[in-house]
Amino acid sequence: MFVLPIMVYFILVVFDLLPLYKQKSRRDFWANALIGTVSFAIVMLLCFNVKIPSPEQPIRELITSIFGK
Amino acid sequence: MQKERITDKQAICLFISFIIGSTLILGIGGEAENDAWLATIAGIIMAVPMLLIYSRMLALFPGKGLFDILNITLGNLMGKVIALLYIMYVFHVGALVLRNFGEFINTVAMPETPIFVPLICMGFLSIIAVRLGIEVLGRTATYFLPIIFFILLIVQMLAIPQLNLNYLKPVLGNGLVPVLKSGFAAFSFPFAETVVFIGVYGSLKTQKSPSKVYFLGILISSIIVIITTIRNVGVLGNTLGNFYFPSYEAVSRINIGDSIERIEVTVATVFIYGVFIKSSICLLVACKGIGKVFRLKNYRSIVIQMGLIMVYFSYIVFDNCMEMKYWAFRVYPYYAFPFQVIIPIIIWVLAEAKNKKFYSTEKE
Repeated sequence: MFVLPIMVYFILVVFDLLPLYKQKSRRDFWANALIGTVSFAIVMLLCFNVKIPSPEQPIRELITSIFGK
Repeated sequence: MQKERITDKQAICLFISFIIGSTLILGIGGEAENDAWLATIAGIIMAVPMLLIYSRMLALFPGKGLFDILNITLGNLMGKVIALLYIMYVFHVGALVLRNFGEFINTVAMPETPIFVPLICMGFLSIIAVRLGIEVLGRTATYFLPIIFFILLIVQMLAIPQLNLNYLKPVLGNGLVPVLKSGFAAFSFPFAETVVFIGVYGSLKTQKSPSKVYFLGILISSIIVIITTIRNVGVLGNTLGNFYFPSYEAVSRINIGDSIERIEVTVATVFIYGVFIKSSICLLVACKGIGKVFRLKNYRSIVIQMGLIMVYFSYIVFDNCMEMKYWAFRVYPYYAFPFQVIIPIIIWVLAEAKNKKFYSTEKE
């Protein structure tokens, strides 16, 4: 299952990230690389069925503790 | 790079599509049972002062978007902190909208298909739209909205035989409090969510008209939402709040002479269109925000990755449909309140104060 995302992200690096480097848009390149790394990490975790904690639960608990259910 | 521009007409069409986006899927005012339509009206009345503030902010700084206004009014550091909060909020709204769509498809149409499939399909569509830019989104909304109006009109007319207007009575049978509570939920979802448009309306061609766009948009969209809510109450009665997707349920009951039935697919078309526009606008504003905060050359360079993260986030954000509904009507109004009301009011007050100063220094 993890092969497909690796292929997709490889294509993204070639066609989305590297052109930014060639255009000398360094800020755009680093922003794309950073966000891409986060995105790749998340999809890999999803592929290995790792449960990623959702921010929804702490926000819900905080709000219900203040305003009630 | 040339700045993107949208006309007033395109802006109004985007606004209407944004409002009807996930509202028609989830419905509003379900907690008020058969007074849901009153709750909708209450929500609109609550939203009007905020829309005045949003449009005033845009009028004070013509041609500037939300993140420019934050930078001008709050300064570089504080402006960036609040901009990051807004990026998080807008990104979260986009993910929630995608999730609404995913749950809808997963519940009513394709229960055996993993929810990730509709999410990634819609996310992919949004990424393409945002990469093409606000002008293309505006033109898409202008072309599609008449079709959407036509579908809604035909469906409303076909629903007339199923309508039982006695379901609307007793008016205020449970008192005013449930109506006001549901009105507050309707205020934050979807009417005050239009705070997102401060990030888009910096691209308006005629800078005199943000208030006109806001008010024409809210007028038309509120008429659609109110009529749809009255139809839902008329067909479903006070069981309205028991359904995850009341509009879909109401339309599925249409049966004209045993020949015209199962027309809920038309409603699904409207949902898909609305969700596409809403998630695209959210993605666009989030990317523009990141572009401004990190001073990127072009926000398009991060659209694909942000769109993918939005899809993943929408996938992990809820475990099931019940959690989604609880969040949308019980938690979201309080979560969104600072972004929709408190911060805009503070920024507006500061903007009024700084406006003269800003333009006097620009003239110099």
